[in-house]
Amino acid sequence: MATVDPIDVLVIGAGAAGAAVAWRLADAGIGVLCLEQGDWVDAKAYPHWQVDWELHRQTDWSPDPNQRRLPQDYPVNDTASPIAPLMYNAVGGSTIHWSAHFPRFRPSDFRVRTLDGVADDWPVDYATLEPFFDLNDRMMGVAGITGDPAYPPKSPRQTPPIPLDTLGATVARGFDRLGWHWWPSDSAILTRDYDGRRACVNCGPCDLGCPIGAKASTDVTYWPKALARGARLITRARVREITLGPDGLADGALYHDRDGQVRRQKARAVVLAANGIGTPRLLLNSRSARCPDGIGNGHGQVGRNLMFHPYAMARGLFDEPLGGYRGPIGCSIISQEFYETNLSRGFVRGYSFQVARGLSPVTSAFGGSIGDRVPWGREHRRAYDARFDRTVTVAVIGEDLPESHNRVDLDPALTDGAGIPAPRVSYTLSDNSRRMLDHGLARAREVLVAAGAHDVVVNPLLRAGGWHLMGTARMGRDPRTSVIDSEGRCHEVPNLYVVDGSTLVTSAGVNPTSTIQAVALYIADGMIRRRR
Amino acid sequence: MTGERPSARRDLLAAMLDALVPADGGFPSAGEVALAHVLAAASASVELEALLSRGFDAAETAARAHGADCFVALAADAREPVLRRVESAEPEFFDALVRHTYDGYYSHPTVLAHLGVDPRPPQPHGHRVEPRDLPDLGHISGRGPLYRLA
Repeated sequence: MATVDPIDVLVIGAGAAGAAVAWRLADAGIGVLCLEQGDWVDAKAYPHWQVDWELHRQTDWSPDPNQRRLPQDYPVNDTASPIAPLMYNAVGGSTIHWSAHFPRFRPSDFRVRTLDGVADDWPVDYATLEPFFDLNDRMMGVAGITGDPAYPPKSPRQTPPIPLDTLGATVARGFDRLGWHWWPSDSAILTRDYDGRRACVNCGPCDLGCPIGAKASTDVTYWPKALARGARLITRARVREITLGPDGLADGALYHDRDGQVRRQKARAVVLAANGIGTPRLLLNSRSARCPDGIGNGHGQVGRNLMFHPYAMARGLFDEPLGGYRGPIGCSIISQEFYETNLSRGFVRGYSFQVARGLSPVTSAFGGSIGDRVPWGREHRRAYDARFDRTVTVAVIGEDLPESHNRVDLDPALTDGAGIPAPRVSYTLSDNSRRMLDHGLARAREVLVAAGAHDVVVNPLLRAGGWHLMGTARMGRDPRTSVIDSEGRCHEVPNLYVVDGSTLVTSAGVNPTSTIQAVALYIADGMIRRRR
Repeated sequence: MTGERPSARRDLLAAMLDALVPADGGFPSAGEVALAHVLAAASASVELEALLSRGFDAAETAARAHGADCFVALAADAREPVLRRVESAEPEFFDALVRHTYDGYYSHPTVLAHLGVDPRPPQPHGHRVEPRDLPDLGHISGRGPLYRLA
């Protein structure tokens, strides 16, 4: 087992949050080393260059590690969850395959206990995070337009919004007819060249990655800048445990290098950025006589309060072609008409609508997120042609409230390729979430019909929708109910930080990456401030 | 099916694919354009190969029950009802067969061209999206703040 001189800060995970922290610390002159279990993705390796690109969505480019099963992946036992966790292991992490929706959490999302009497307030607020949202926007590059009344005023977006095209404009008319809020989505996808990166060419499948760097995966945003500022990055390095020194502080990590050899990396501080499943897995795997149940788990909180965003989907069928296979797959418009709590609706908190693009040829045959495969046989041609390029899907993304029994723990039998215990996910959809999604589906049906759809079908809960992994090492002031403090420090090991989606106290009703990264930058700022 | 001549196996699979997605409206049948994909998938997966062999046996059995010597000998309009019975008896096989057939069919350049989609990869050219002005958003921003201050 090789040992190496201690680095100032060891970052584990090179995705959305790890990249942001590595850059911020390196830019401040702090020595940073990042261990990433995946590799760099070569631009030419993306499936976008092949005519059979769609077929990779269910195999080597699936967002589900249990389907993808690449050497750098670890399995996740998700049999006790109606939602399958999704992730990607590479430099850039899950920003490699995300759709780049980039809304922020809203001010009320940080004060849910005070405002609505549920969950917990965050120990930080929107105003505190706002400069970090802005900084992160500049680093990632955001397409959008200011003036959205659903948010406090924002700084100018870096490029104009993603074009609505025929599909977006059609649905926007439906929202207008009902008098409901909608706005062009903030998307971390460039519509103009920016910061040395190219503009999007509207090729479509952002969920399979972006081979031209127009989409803001952190391998093309933060990492080049972090490396230029002296950060170091070791790929194919799978961390098996965080180690503690005799003083009880974190002193580094043990990891398997790309040859399988176990190495020790010493560090003065450790930052976990391994996502809302990988981080609790690592903490729980870091057992010792001092921490028999894992690091930071003295009160049994590690892995608890897992939040996904439960998604429900409504798909409308239109008479005219909509050009839906053109343009970024996930990004068109957002509506937050039903975002804030209104108890007369039968649930607390709220949801957003996301209007995605249409379905590509193979995906159309299988029904996309609805899963209603086109029938085979003599009726096939008529049924397929009635569907292809004539559908709009409205996603209902509901706020998932934290519940202690929704959790990540270690599977007693399943391991990864290095023999490290794999995570197990246990999750049930709450009654509040079910009522919220049902309300959303009914309203989605209304808006699709108002936009001209003549047939609407729904999926009440998307199984392949666990994109957002949150809350499993959450921030809080009370060590009995949280894992890290308001500065991201583990209550029990104050030089051990968590910066990924695990930190989130609540999930809000929007995609979390913008907020995860803002929180990560805020935590890094505190690390720098205390070092001075 | 085990031990049968490769050409017989190929003919059977092509006939089944033709019944799944018949030639129609100028579109080719799946037997014409998706057969190679399904065969390649089967040759790359022991599990799929075994599943297909089981399904082929079921198809031949169902064809004989229908009074034919084999599935390929069935009249074209008799194949679909026979396959419906196979679908009921061997759902796992059938699901895999349809999945790989649709995969091969709707990623084939000939089919894409018939759909009006450029039969080329997404990159490097992407798609042209006609520029258009955003609709007036004044009526939305004019509603004033929709968020709660906290």
